[in-house]
Parts: sequence; C-alpha cells; structure tokens
Amino acid sequence: MTKATTLDVPVGGRADPARMMEGRERRFAAALLAPAFIALMATTTFPLLHLGWTSLHRMDLAMPFMDGFVGLDNYRELLGDPRFWSALGVSLVYTFSTVILQVVLGLALALLVNGMKRGQALFRIVAILPVVLSPAVVGMVWRTFMLTPEFGVVDYLSMTAGLGSHNWLGDPSLALFSVVVIHTWQWTPFAFMVLLASLAALPEDIYEAARIDRASPWLCFVRITLPLLRPAIVMVIIMRTMVALTAFAAIFTVTGGGPGTATEILNLYAYRKSFTELSIGYGSALAVALLIFTLVITGVLFALRRAK
Amino acid sequence: MTARGLVQLEKIVKKHGSFEALKGIDIEIRPGEFFALLGPSGSGKSTTLRILAGLDAPTSGRILLDGKDVTGADARARDIAMVFQSYALYPHMTVAENIAFPLEMAKTPKAEIAPAVREAAAKVKIDHLLDRKPGQLSGGQQQRCALARAIVRKARLFLLDEPLSNLDAMLRLATRVELKKLQRSLGVTAVYVTHDQEEAMTLADRMAVFREGEICQIGRPADVFAAPNCIEVAAFIGSPPMNLLTTRSTAGGVLIGGRHVPVAASLEAGRAVVVGVRPSAVRFDPAGIPVTVEVVENLGDAAILDLTLDGTPLRARYDRFPLPREGETMAVSFAPEDIHLFDPTTGRRI
Ligand SMILES: Nc1ncnc2c1ncn2[C@@H]1O[C@H](COP(=O)(O)OP(=O)(O)OP(=O)(O)O)[C@@H](O)[C@H]1O
Ligand SMILES: [Mg+2]
Repeated sequence: MTKATTLDVPVGGRADPARMMEGRERRFAAALLAPAFIALMATTTFPLLHLGWTSLHRMDLAMPFMDGFVGLDNYRELLGDPRFWSALGVSLVYTFSTVILQVVLGLALALLVNGMKRGQALFRIVAILPVVLSPAVVGMVWRTFMLTPEFGVVDYLSMTAGLGSHNWLGDPSLALFSVVVIHTWQWTPFAFMVLLASLAALPEDIYEAARIDRASPWLCFVRITLPLLRPAIVMVIIMRTMVALTAFAAIFTVTGGGPGTATEILNLYAYRKSFTELSIGYGSALAVALLIFTLVITGVLFALRRAK
Repeated sequence: MTARGLVQLEKIVKKHGSFEALKGIDIEIRPGEFFALLGPSGSGKSTTLRILAGLDAPTSGRILLDGKDVTGADARARDIAMVFQSYALYPHMTVAENIAFPLEMAKTPKAEIAPAVREAAAKVKIDHLLDRKPGQLSGGQQQRCALARAIVRKARLFLLDEPLSNLDAMLRLATRVELKKLQRSLGVTAVYVTHDQEEAMTLADRMAVFREGEICQIGRPADVFAAPNCIEVAAFIGSPPMNLLTTRSTAGGVLIGGRHVPVAASLEAGRAVVVGVRPSAVRFDPAGIPVTVEVVENLGDAAILDLTLDGTPLRARYDRFPLPREGETMAVSFAPEDIHLFDPTTGRRI
C-alpha cells in the first residue's frame, strides 16, 4: 500500500486547502476502492473474457490432441444441435412458468396477509425460511421427503386424493412439472415479501375514495392496486427471470437434468457438456449463448419497464 | 326530488377502545343546506363525517338519509360524494381519469363521460390541466381536482373534510367564495368540516360546534355568534375571542373593576358569574372604568388593544386614530345588551 503512505506526506502551505483536501479524499477513496475493484475484475470480468476465448477453441479433455483455435465453429455446431434447442425450450418453459407462478401466488398471498389485522409478523418470518435455504438443500428435501413414490408427502397426498402414486421425478412428463413446483415453492416467498412491502406502502385514503366513488373490491384491485404495484411487480419479474434462467442447484440435485433431457435447462446442458462429456470448448459456447440469451431477455424486460 | 339530501344522525356514539370519540351526537341537516361542523382539533368532526359517509361504523346510534336507515350500509351504497382532507387523488391517473372514475364506476355510457368530466373541470377551473397527473399539480389544483371528482356525479350529499386547510390564505378566500357559489348552483346538501370559525361563519347556513365529542350548539352562524350558549362556544367563536371575566353579580348587574355594571338579564345578587364581552363591544368612554393599555396590535384599519382592567386582561377592538400609546390609561364601559352571562360551574348561558 504505497499509495496510503503518500497521504501522510505534508503537501506544504502554498496549495489551496480545499483543493488539497479534495485531492487527498479522492486518492484515499481510490485506495479504498482498489482492492475490491481488482477482486471484482479478477473474479467476474476476467473469467467472462476467458469463457468467450475458450468458446472459440476446440477443447476436449477426452481428445486433447484435437485442441486448437476453431473460430466460430462451436457456435455453428450449436445452431444445428437439437439438444441445444431442446434445452433452450426447457429453459423458457421453466422460467416462464416459475416466474408467472411466483408473481401470481406471491401477489395473492400478499393481498391476503396485508388484509390481516394480526399475525403479519409471523407470516413474514415463516415466508423467509425457504428463501434462506440453499437450493441444493431444498432439492434434496423435495427429492427425499416430498416426492419419493409411496413415502413422500406429495405422493402420499396424491394417493389419498385418489390420483394414484406417481414417479414424480422419473416420469419425463412429470419431472419438469416437479422442478417447476420446487422452484416456485422456494422463491414465491421472495415475491410475497416484496409485494407485501409495496402493498403496505400504498396510501389508505385512496381506497376510501374508491369506496365513496362506488368501486367494487374487484375494480379497486384492477384499477388501483395493480397499476400502483406495477413497478414492484415488474421488478420482481426481472429479478426472478434472471435467476430462473440461470437456475442450477435445485434441478441438479433433484433430477440432474433427467430423465433423459426432460429437465435439462441450458445451464445444465452447458455443465454436462463441459464437465461430464468434457467438451469444454463447446460447453463454453453454450454458456456464452445462455449469457446472451439472459441479457436479451433482461434488456427486453427493462425496456418494458420504462415503456409507460 | 326536493327532499333529496335530508340527513339525520341520532345518538351517534363512536368508541375507540375505552376512548369515546363521539358521545352521542344528534344532528338534522335539511335538504340543500350548507352545514358546517366546527370545533377544535380532535373534537370528533372527521369522525362524524366518516360515519356519515359510511367509511366507519358507529358504535351505536342511527344514520338516516332521506328518511331511510343506512346505519349498516357501506359507503358504496349511500350515494355520497366526499372531498378528503388529504384529497386522496388516484396518483397513477390523470386529472381527467380521476374525475371520470366515479362515472365509470356508475357505468355511465362512454360518450357521456368526456363532456361531464370537462364540465366538472371547467366549474372548478382546471380544464386546462386534464392531462396532468396529481403529482404535477399544486396543492390548490389538487384540491380543485378532488372537488371536481366529487361534483361530477350528482350525489345526494356532499361531504368536505377541511378541504381548504392546505391552501394559502389568498387561495383559501377565493376558493371559499367559489365553493359557496358552486353549492348554491348545484343545490346539493353539503356538510363541511372545519376548525376555522371564520370559514364556518362565512360559508354555512347552519353549523354545529363540537367539543370533545359532543355538540355544544347548533344554529345559524349569526345566532351562535350573537348568543353562544356556553363558555366553550363563546371562547371559540369570534376573532379575537370573547373576553371572559369571572366576577359576582349585584342587584340588576355585575361587578366589573369594582363598579356596578347593569345587565339585561335578571340576576339574584351575590352569585358567581362569568361575564363575556366581545372585543368589538368594548366601548371607550371617558366616564367609564379605568384601564391600562399594555400592547397595541395595529391591524391597519383598526387595532386590537390588550388592556388590563383592575389586574385582569381585557382585549378590545379600537378603530379611532391616532391609536393610544402603550402604558397609557383609558376608560371603558359596557352596554347591557353586549354582556353575555355564563354560569361558572355548568358553563351554560344564563
Ligand atoms: N382509530 C382511532 N383510534 C383511537 N382514537 C382515534 C382514532 N381515530 C380518531 N381518534 C380520536 O378521536 C378523536 C376525534 O378525532 P377526529 O379525527 O374526529 O378529530 P377532528 O375533530 O377531525 O380533528 P382535526 O381538526 O384535527 O382533524 C381524537 O381525539 C382522536 O385522537
Ligand atoms: Mg379531522
């Protein structure tokens, strides 16, 4: 920290004291900022650049003798890869359904709890529990405790309800549904808490004005609550979309992308390609594709947020 | 349609826990009347208005609108328009959308809404602001917008909760006059809450003076001013308020500054009384009771003199120039018809 020692050097009496203070403050701020900035660069920007660089190579740990620069070959291959398109589709379905479910359920819960006179604090505490759990733990709990055929809570309920026992994670048509439910279960409380906070901040008197204006409760909701909550809802959608697109741990522990590729989202495909099939170059191209895809969707959402 | 807007409140009690915000209010408001609820802060005016509007339910008592019991009816069912103290405009809607909202809720045909909105906005002179959001309006403009939203639907009752309290003095005066004209032209019953006695005096046909959840007096402003029926009303109405001196009665009069002053009412001698004299009724008379001028508050065309009469403070209005100097000695007298007498134990007028 040679920079820091210069701070103690007296600069002499001729300089303007205010200027001197400002310069000193700026140098001090830079010194404080530097470690974090360097760490950030080293851990985010550099790996990202390295990822892009790798994606332009053939890098196959199974066949190291073939390694070398291949330009955009990986991307060309990707566009013709049915498994890529399938993973993209799964990602879209997963993201779309989990985000919609979180917002709808979170909003419904928030409206319910906001109307309660007592016990709000309890709900807030209960709600935070799934959020603070690690997704991997959540995945394990669901896989063993909830979804095991015959013994899991969900399967037991399903049997009791007369719907029969199902192989929730082994059946390709149910597996995607199951991982969507697990993600929704874990993250709806987040939407709930954000929306509850926004609801509680809405002025009360306009609801009284609406009663005087003879608006039914449903019209109050559609014409007043929804428009006023719109910024919060859009914010929740953006944040949850970004997370859902890059979800990994829960699906990885529950199904590992299977059965087959039924729950293989893009993130998981990139992982499998890189570390199971050891095609690191192609895996990097998949990761870059996911990054671009996420950026585009986020950009669209932000544009929608600004529009009106 | 002539009897539209008759309001009867019968023995309304409102409790918040053990605290009684209203202790049994009886009011009857006639159709087309401009009725003011006047009283100091916390006296239960807003509570009364909210119960009348159906926003809160009374603990006991009955509310009748046009003779029909609506005590259990929600605000939506009462056909009432209200201007809130906070305006309560919908922040995400433009002025036009705000004003149109009650019409839309009443399922008015689309073609009729736009002209009605423009007409209501024109009545309160905000028709040039229809595209703005409430956040882009000044306090006075917001208040007009709230007013337009209330008058756009022809409700049978019009409630206003201190609608002018957020305006500056000039705007308040101007809007006050317009409000009165508007109510006259609409011919609608209006209930107006205010803690400003001047506002109530100028606007109201009749008024109810509140104090700690009770009504002290109901009557025409001029009558209440001329004959306040208790000490609290006397002290509250008039600016500056009435002088109140505790003293004793003599045969046919009262003792003020050690002198016998005749009064109109007949009194037995020697009982304790509170004498009320309005500052404007204090007469300056060289043959009267000597007083010392303590402070002179010059209002331009007149002055308020803070005097001491035999050690007790007395305020008087004085409009002869030049004004006396502070420390000077003068003399005052009281005409029998200007003297209000109150019982010091009950507070009632004698
Ligand atoms: N929700 C409540 N819980 C407890 N007390 C309340 C509640 N609402 C009002 N009060 C009390 O009831 C009394 C009357 O209140 P109200 O709002 O009617 O006064 P006000 O005459 O309108 O006064 P202001 O001129 O300040 O608006 C006050 O003492 C107030 O503290
Ligand atoms: Mg009030």
